[in-house]
Amino acid sequence: MKIGLFIPCYINAVYPEVGVASYKLLKSLGLDVDYPLDQTCCGQPMANAGFEHESAGLALRMEELFRSYDYVVGPSASCVAFVKENHPGILEKAGHVCMNSKKIYDICEFLHDIVKVKELKAEFPHKVSIHNSCHGVRELHLSSPSERNIPYFSKLRDLLSLVKGIEIFEPKRIDECCGFGGMFAVEEPEVSVCMGQDKVKDHMNTGAEYITGADSSCLMHMEGVIKRDNLPIKTIHIVEILASGL
Amino acid sequence: MSTKHSKAAARFIENRKQEAWHDETLWMVRAKRDKMSHSLPEWERLRELASDIKLYSNSHLDTLLEEFERNATANGAIVHWAKDAAEHNAIVDEILQQHKAHTLIKSKSMLTEECGMNDYLFGKGYDIIESDLGERILQWMKLHPSHIVMPAIHIKRQEVGEMMERVLGTEKGNSDPTYLTHAVRKNMREKFLTADVAMTGANFAVASTGEIVVCTNEGNADMGTSFPKVHIATFGMEKIVPDRESLGVFTRLLARSGTGQPITSYTSHYCRPKEGGEFHIIIVDNGRSDILARPDHIRTLNCIRCGECMNTCPVYRRSGGYSYTYFIPGPIGINLGMLKDPVKYSDNVSACSLCLSCSNVCPVKIDLGEQIYRWRQDLDKIGKASTEKKIMSGGMKFLMERPKLFNTALKFAPVVNKMPRFMIYNSLNAWGKGRELPAFAKQSFNEMWKSNKIK
Amino acid sequence: MSSKNDILSAIRRHTGKRYEMPELTLDAIAYEDKVARFADSLKAAGGQAVLMQPGDDINEIIRQHFPDATRIASNLPGIACATFNPDDLDDPRELDNTDLAVVEGHFGVAENGAVWITRQVKHKALYFISNSLVMLIDRNSIVNNMHEAYKRTENMTYDFGAFISGPSKTADIEQALVLGAHGPVGVLVILK
Repeated sequence: MKIGLFIPCYINAVYPEVGVASYKLLKSLGLDVDYPLDQTCCGQPMANAGFEHESAGLALRMEELFRSYDYVVGPSASCVAFVKENHPGILEKAGHVCMNSKKIYDICEFLHDIVKVKELKAEFPHKVSIHNSCHGVRELHLSSPSERNIPYFSKLRDLLSLVKGIEIFEPKRIDECCGFGGMFAVEEPEVSVCMGQDKVKDHMNTGAEYITGADSSCLMHMEGVIKRDNLPIKTIHIVEILASGL
Repeated sequence: MSTKHSKAAARFIENRKQEAWHDETLWMVRAKRDKMSHSLPEWERLRELASDIKLYSNSHLDTLLEEFERNATANGAIVHWAKDAAEHNAIVDEILQQHKAHTLIKSKSMLTEECGMNDYLFGKGYDIIESDLGERILQWMKLHPSHIVMPAIHIKRQEVGEMMERVLGTEKGNSDPTYLTHAVRKNMREKFLTADVAMTGANFAVASTGEIVVCTNEGNADMGTSFPKVHIATFGMEKIVPDRESLGVFTRLLARSGTGQPITSYTSHYCRPKEGGEFHIIIVDNGRSDILARPDHIRTLNCIRCGECMNTCPVYRRSGGYSYTYFIPGPIGINLGMLKDPVKYSDNVSACSLCLSCSNVCPVKIDLGEQIYRWRQDLDKIGKASTEKKIMSGGMKFLMERPKLFNTALKFAPVVNKMPRFMIYNSLNAWGKGRELPAFAKQSFNEMWKSNKIK
Repeated sequence: MSSKNDILSAIRRHTGKRYEMPELTLDAIAYEDKVARFADSLKAAGGQAVLMQPGDDINEIIRQHFPDATRIASNLPGIACATFNPDDLDDPRELDNTDLAVVEGHFGVAENGAVWITRQVKHKALYFISNSLVMLIDRNSIVNNMHEAYKRTENMTYDFGAFISGPSKTADIEQALVLGAHGPVGVLVILK
């Protein structure tokens, strides 16, 4: 199977190390991974702000970039969810049948459900608190949403449990939003900051040294809060933990 | 770029202590609801059934409302139909006139709030007495509800105590909730006994029996209707359910979702007028039939007004009910406001991070968050999109559609990291309120790949 | 009349897809010991249930629980502790200042501690105005959940019926629970 690595814009620009870890991790599992060059953005920021039509060109471009791959795998649950849930409708209006939506996976979901990894070489002797991101939980079903009465599961916890030396925690409000939400963060900055501060505090109360999750966007938001308030906790993308030592 | 909501929210958050209390208290209700819903293995099936029953009833309103009218009339009730708020209020006025009534005692109803009924009737010289404790407090304070189930949730006990010192002459400085509640109990007892006409809303109207069902914890609807000869019940037409069997589904969901109780203290069924009395029932449209024509938003008619979408909403909890411009706040209010008048109420659409918790908590499975996303797509068409947002989005589109330009931009982006702080964190940068900007990497992933640093 | 026609025609004009009524089948919760569950649920709702034992005298139970009640209303035969028959009053307002009302319910609901009553007294006010309320039900009448409950009401006709779960309550001031908002401060259910 041929895997096309999907590196969203802000990972490309701000967190390239997350992309590197994703590549190394997939490669270490013996998978055929490639990065189609010159990716930009999936169009979510525009669409969430109310300009879905402005993401049509980007959606089409992604279709072209990943046409020859069996799987599209990316280290960002929210972007993956946008492609999966929204690209079909956006492309339909442009007279195109979306292919990516059927083959795109968040990397954790992919490792858990498709590759079904049972062991990792990773070691991370630290306390981590899982950030269950909204779209990861409620759109991609990476874990059981706290609102629903279904048995607890967490694909992130399952994967992290394969890491040696790690101690895993989850915040009290297990999957409350961190307040990013794309342009929401700048349109409603006071509420967004308040949510971010509350969320970081909730993670800190677990005693964790790191907040980790499948969404760099949430981690980026919380990192912004942590740096501004000089808080004694760090953020790290889950693939960086899973790929530690590679 | 700021909306009326975001500005009002900022003011609410200024009092961080009160905001934290509001957030924590409503979260506690959400936690109680979680405990309740997790105690029923059939919870998700109940939600499914509730949603399916509502989809059925709201797509058969014509037949069900007529069935209801037939049965209610056979029970001896008098059924009225009101196209809009004005007609609704006029009907109430006429009934009050017929009975030479002066005092109307009423239980909590979001519909009378929607119709602006109290102000209308006050203007006509009637005395309207809200009997729900929270609503009574608001009436004394001349305020409107900030939550549809916990209307006075934003008011501290000290404020209630001080107000009651003036209104009821309670002990100075005593703000004990039990003491204050019982002071109102004593005061209200006399009002219940002397009111001329009673009014209630309805949580459900049962087509097959022609009865209406009112759920309260205080028993104020029941006290209110126990003494006057005349009872007026009013309901928005989506409150119709086919039969009593359906009530089994809804009564199990309503209080568990709304307050975390297995059922309200009172689930009262009003079927016939009392001996020698009159039972008026008003069926209200007021825009509901228009919603039927909008398949994208039809599920808002599923709403049973439990209020849980407010409790779970991270934005509502931190911005309070008054930050919204529609009389119903929170996720359902954002949607209902847009259905009522999208130009007038578009300021609320920003009050959502699209976390989708509301859609998952909703007992009747309204796709609340998804609908807000859809409303955002309409803002530009109705001339209500923020210019700055439009420019930002357009700029992003321009850049992202040009990978070369994007890559070049990323090459120079690290320069931003070295800019003097005042140039980055100023009033133009909303992100900079409370958050540091992410630092651009020295080399983008794309560049690293191109220069073979990864493989 | 014309508003009715206008509304109905607007509904018909705007109704798109007509959805089917679902079959109301589900595995609803059931309890091994319905009586115990009913008592627990009622306690959580702020009320109390007592199970009569052989040889127990109902009037004694009532007096034990409400030793200070002086004005006790009941129209039930065998409630000797009643001080008056509420049905003798013409005006429900005269029921004000009743300490205790003793009434009969049809059945209880285990999942929520509610008792289903239909108006069996002249003035429905009685269920709400007295300071405390005693409801008598048959212990064998308790159903598991609201689905079973509504099935039980199927052939009942009434002008007023209610599920009453514990005393009147409110949390409208800072979410602090207070019993006795407007109606009874205490509810006792005696399981015969």
